[in-house]
Amino acid sequence: MARIEKVKLPDIGEGIAEGEIVRWLVKKGDRVKQFQPLVEVLTDKANVEIPSPVSGRVVRFLASEGERVSVGSPIVEIELEGEAVEPEERAGSAEEVREGVSPELGEKVEVKKEERRVVVRAPPSVRKLARDLGIDLAKVKGTGPGGVITRDDVLRYAQAQQGAQAQATARAAEAEKIQVEAVEKPKAQTVKVEAAEQAVERIPLRGIRKIMAERMALAKSRIPHAYIVEEVDVTDLLSLRDHLAKYAEGKGIRLTILPFIVKAVVKALKEYPLLNSSLDEDRNEIVVKKYYNIGIAVDTEMGLVVPNIKNADRKGLFEIARDISMLASKARSGKLDLSDVRDGTFTITNIGSIGTVMGMPVINPPEVAILGVHRVVDKPVYIDGELKPRKVVNLSLSFDHRVIEGAYAARFLNLVKRYLEDPILLVVSDNELKV
Amino acid sequence: MNLISQALAKDLNLDKALGIFRVLDDQGVPDESLEPKLSKDFLLKIYEYMVRTRILDEWLLKLQRMGKVAIHAPNKGQEATMIGAALALREQDWMFPSYRELGALLVRGMSEEEIIDRAMANADDPLKGSDFAIYGSRDKKIVPAPVPVGNQIPHAVGFALAAKIMGDNIVVLTFFGDGATSRGDFHFGLNFAGLFKPPVVFVIQNNQWAISLPVRKQTAAPTLAVKGVAYGVPSIRVDGNDVLAVYSIAKEAVDKASSGEGPTLIESLTYRLGPHTTADDPRRYRSDEEVKRYEAKDPIPRFRRYLMYRGVLNEDLDREIWGRWRDYIETVVRRCLSKPELPEEVIFEDVYSEMPWNLREQLEEFRESLRVMKSLGLRVE
Repeated sequence: MARIEKVKLPDIGEGIAEGEIVRWLVKKGDRVKQFQPLVEVLTDKANVEIPSPVSGRVVRFLASEGERVSVGSPIVEIELEGEAVEPEERAGSAEEVREGVSPELGEKVEVKKEERRVVVRAPPSVRKLARDLGIDLAKVKGTGPGGVITRDDVLRYAQAQQGAQAQATARAAEAEKIQVEAVEKPKAQTVKVEAAEQAVERIPLRGIRKIMAERMALAKSRIPHAYIVEEVDVTDLLSLRDHLAKYAEGKGIRLTILPFIVKAVVKALKEYPLLNSSLDEDRNEIVVKKYYNIGIAVDTEMGLVVPNIKNADRKGLFEIARDISMLASKARSGKLDLSDVRDGTFTITNIGSIGTVMGMPVINPPEVAILGVHRVVDKPVYIDGELKPRKVVNLSLSFDHRVIEGAYAARFLNLVKRYLEDPILLVVSDNELKV
Repeated sequence: MNLISQALAKDLNLDKALGIFRVLDDQGVPDESLEPKLSKDFLLKIYEYMVRTRILDEWLLKLQRMGKVAIHAPNKGQEATMIGAALALREQDWMFPSYRELGALLVRGMSEEEIIDRAMANADDPLKGSDFAIYGSRDKKIVPAPVPVGNQIPHAVGFALAAKIMGDNIVVLTFFGDGATSRGDFHFGLNFAGLFKPPVVFVIQNNQWAISLPVRKQTAAPTLAVKGVAYGVPSIRVDGNDVLAVYSIAKEAVDKASSGEGPTLIESLTYRLGPHTTADDPRRYRSDEEVKRYEAKDPIPRFRRYLMYRGVLNEDLDREIWGRWRDYIETVVRRCLSKPELPEEVIFEDVYSEMPWNLREQLEEFRESLRVMKSLGLRVE
């Protein structure tokens, strides 16, 4: 296939928006060399010679002498050197057929005249954007002061059109085949665009939702996630919880199993510190954090937020429980401070409170791991050769495989399991369990 | 009457400010009594700087016409003045140019590549796309050229005065155009220079046109050099298309300044053969006939004829010099064209040492907007 470069009128500086083609300095079929003068153009300020940006053969002119063209619009087609068109390929091309029916040049000029009659209010940058996108500004509804078309209006219109086009293309393709010789075509598509616009609701991605979208995209595209799952028998933990809940209630604290999980995780992190780290990609270093700020994912109407419990290793069970409910209520009422969400070192997401039994959470960058806590279910479990009804919860761990190996992660999760299945161990001080 | 003019001429060197000092005639034949004694190598070096400047200037114009350079102020025709004057400086001396001194930048050791990178604002642009196309360099002792006409004049005087007070043996040379002599900055600067005698050399590139305004419509003074005389600054007019004349006088001025004898003003008579900038069309205000007349006084062929007259240059060597620099600069241009563009985010950098929250927010929005534009297949410019 031959590559044909559409040479555009370059931006020749200082607010020049358009120029008049004074004289072509080359003829159709001429070979031109890069930097060779191509055309003389008259702008508001000067008569200038435009050099060719490429070497090749002049295939056809897209603007005639005397015509005014805007900056950025194609003025000539040049077939790049060493990439000649095969004659048989050319003869059969659809473009050639269309060219025979209606010379593109004439058509273009007519359309332009029509456009000029509509008064469009839009700043130059927006006009340029519309031009680049091939959008007729007359069709875009302006939402700015006094009906001025803003940049967002154009982008919204373009996105809607792009979405509609994908749907329309399949159907249009059939029709188009028959219509190759027809002169007027693009109008039909616009009608479909408007119809499609009514069938969808467009929710602007803003605020927390936007941040979430960006961070998750970053996490999934950047971090090679690996996953492991462990089943944990929390029957004993629940009875301990029930026992302590009475004390907590007196202090106005609602005790769930989450604070226990935070405690167990922190203790296990001390033994497996790589999970409490981040990766400094610029310096190729793993930054191991000696503080434990445990993030708790909170679902709010505005989107997902992850405030963290600061220095969770130095806090008691009730204190952690109080922190969790305080952070959750701050999050839901939109009152979190920046400091509440900054400097987290490890995240726990308690999806189980809503009801799933399994899931693979996405890491919250720059952290390297996240623990998913799922729903506690009643399950028959073999204990000493006997099936017993037990309370069981699935814990899933997603980790950054650049920093952590599977075995390391598994050992960590085993330790968390051990603390939770035998919660009395939580009173044993750190490292005492090490063999 | 006669007595008065003789006294004036004696005390104020008015004759120098009214006459024209030249070494070469239009054909390049030297006045042997004034011809400087320069080595063959040095003469060829001067010629090569002139050739390089001419070729680089043509390229910058071409690149602007291709939309690769935002703006360029063509140098064509003024090479003798900028190169002759800059060559008079010693390594420790400082230069305060205007925006039409490509040749002087080359003389101070700036490379073509650096200049083109800057002009194109590509990824290697040392100024990351900010400011006008010409910039300075601390190493090469070149202060960035200001865009407002003549701002550099008081800067140069102040810098020279500081050097004098601190006892540093440096000379400061500043270039500006004829238009600048109609601005306040010129008069403040000259007044201080006359009074405090700092080691400064003023070079007026009198190219006859302040954009579209001719010198005769700017001032009623008979010459621009007499303005210096009025401030007590020794002033002289030279043929600015005669590189040997410019070099000889500038050298004398630099020597004089460095030995504590104060400032000199040089009015260098030249002609801008090209447009004022790439956004200017000189055909609207001056005749082709005038341009033709000055093309005949082009400093490069004139100096070439001198070099051939002296046997320093022959046709073969001349062709070799032009060919070598044409090839070299084209290679540099191609390399600069193939360099990546600056990342768009640079417009947020280098203002605050730590980016404040509102700029960070804007940066985020800007990135998002770029992403949307890119997802729509738009080229971001």
